[in-house]
Amino acid sequence: MNKLNVVLLLAVIFSSMALIRSAYDTRRLFDAIHKAESESLRLAGERTRLEAERQTAATNLRVERTARERLAMRTTTPAVTMYVVDPAAKPRAAAASGATP
Amino acid sequence: MKLPGRSPRVASTRGVNYATSPLLASPTPSWRSRLIVALVGSAFAGLLGRAAYVQIIGAEFFQKQGEKRYAHTLEVPASRGRILDRHGALLASSVPAASVWAIPKDFVATVEQRKALLKLLGMEAREFDARLNGGSSNFAWIRRQVDTATWDQVKALGIKGLYETREYKRRYPEGESAAHVVGFTNIEDQGQEGIELGYQKDLQGHDGSRGVVKDRLGRVVEDMGELIEPSDGRDIQLSIDAKVQFFAYQRVRDAVLEHKAKAGSVVVLDTQTGEILALANYPSYDPGDRTRLTGGQLRNRALTDIFEPGSTMKPFIVGLALENGKARLNEVVTTAPGSMVVSGIAIKDAHPHGSLTLQEVIQKSSNIGTVRVAMRMQPRELWEMFSNVGYGQKPQISFPGAVTGKLRPYKSWRPIEQATMAYGYGLSASLLQMARAYTTFARDGEVIPVSMLKQSQPQPGLQVLSPQTAREIRRMLQMAAGPGGTGTLAQTMGYSVGGKSGTAHKQEGKGYASNKYRSWFVGMSPIEKPRIIVAVMVDEPSNGVYFGGSVAAPVFSQVVQQTLRMMNVSPDLEVKPQVMAKAMPSVPESF
Repeated sequence: MNKLNVVLLLAVIFSSMALIRSAYDTRRLFDAIHKAESESLRLAGERTRLEAERQTAATNLRVERTARERLAMRTTTPAVTMYVVDPAAKPRAAAASGATP
Repeated sequence: MKLPGRSPRVASTRGVNYATSPLLASPTPSWRSRLIVALVGSAFAGLLGRAAYVQIIGAEFFQKQGEKRYAHTLEVPASRGRILDRHGALLASSVPAASVWAIPKDFVATVEQRKALLKLLGMEAREFDARLNGGSSNFAWIRRQVDTATWDQVKALGIKGLYETREYKRRYPEGESAAHVVGFTNIEDQGQEGIELGYQKDLQGHDGSRGVVKDRLGRVVEDMGELIEPSDGRDIQLSIDAKVQFFAYQRVRDAVLEHKAKAGSVVVLDTQTGEILALANYPSYDPGDRTRLTGGQLRNRALTDIFEPGSTMKPFIVGLALENGKARLNEVVTTAPGSMVVSGIAIKDAHPHGSLTLQEVIQKSSNIGTVRVAMRMQPRELWEMFSNVGYGQKPQISFPGAVTGKLRPYKSWRPIEQATMAYGYGLSASLLQMARAYTTFARDGEVIPVSMLKQSQPQPGLQVLSPQTAREIRRMLQMAAGPGGTGTLAQTMGYSVGGKSGTAHKQEGKGYASNKYRSWFVGMSPIEKPRIIVAVMVDEPSNGVYFGGSVAAPVFSQVVQQTLRMMNVSPDLEVKPQVMAKAMPSVPESF
């Protein structure tokens, strides 16, 4: 009887230690999740900021000016454009519209 | 049962009488023990009372106090929706920013720290002091919405009593070219102009919150209480094409500067869907930096300025007359001797033309020819036509400030008014309304609502003219923009165009100013199957040239050419090629 009591006592002690340990782990992991979430929010904010900056760095005004001044490019006109017919596009377009050739 | 050999008497003589034992007799008086009992008893009673007070009477207060020490509510910020162009390019987006604030009574900084801080925040010493010492000693905004990188540098200075709050700041990458469309928000993230104001409810996000338990080190260890999810604002995708918008803005800006004009506007419409591809005004402003902003810069003239549409009305009169059988295509109208009198008032042509065919009336933009045709119809017919194509009607567009224009009820028209309205005087409209009215001709007689949001299908329209009549009018518009017409400078390379120019003295008070003009041009291209409508207006050109055909038509031409090229519309006119194609034998690629 006494032996059983000792075993049970030990079991209770171990289980309470495990409980303390798991509660501690839960809190630690919870904190880790919270930190990761905050980091993800920060990165999302950073991403929008970078997207906006990329757009600012590539505005039409800047692209146009760079193309004209630095790359010596000029706007095309129909006179300097070769219009080609995509042979693959035609049957596709016809099929899409349901027309028969 | 009795035990053997033991008598009850023997047992009693061996027993000890404790009560009378001299060994146990206490030397202390009995009142002391009673006192102790009373003291312990009263201490217990005190504890019981306190427990009852804490648990029952003051329970709420103590629970709150306890909670304050471990429970915290975290704000979960929601971001405002973005504004995108039709291809997904950013026109406005919210980026995180740091707002710097201080607790003035705790603020301590050395002279060097202070100097560095002012430099980083870009503030004058006087302004800084005013903010720091201007209000409460517990809180003062120092600078709202600075870059997070700047805050990191400020933080590195290690100044006491200086803190930050995370906020969102609006960024407008396209700057001034799309300013009037996109608008802007105030520091509290509330839309103030343009789409930012018109779609405030959709764009606005709602912050969430969550209750958490924090430990001694400030770490979040548990959720508690209710969680309110943040809801981000909805993204708004506009019909605007940032490239077309930019190009249109650039062209109208150049025209305004070249002609020393006061202002200018351009509207580009997609005739297939009714979408607005560009809506630009000059002068404009940078929505990200609104210091020294004037009312003139803020005005979205294409939508808010109304003026008399002038000659651009003539095709509607001729179209209606053809439709009702009040005129025939090949009939000849006499406009000699260049003036006519209606109700005692003379109506004149700029140049006398003699006899003109109906097509030539539009081509030469003859006031008299148009009036002669218009007077064959009832005022009601004209009024119905005008209001069907949108004059005097509020544009069905969710954009703040879009004006209705003026169109008086036909019952109050006098004959002279019917005559002047035929060539576009006595009623008024915005540039957008004029562009929209021209969808009638571009879409074979159907006028459709315009939209600022991206859409794949047009909304249902209203058939105003028959397709046959609309095509005839398109041909007349092509003549008007061709040799012998009033808008020859509207011609482009590769694309056929048609349109009508207009020039008018500006209204001032009750009359017209003799030396102030407004010039405009409304047209479409390619003429057989129009893809876009472009309307251009230049206000007060004062560099010697002021006719719509000279000031606005070149802008129209450049915008049409560039827009159609960007939309991959193949040219419908023969162009002498300047490049030669040479057949090359194909070589199989090796990998």
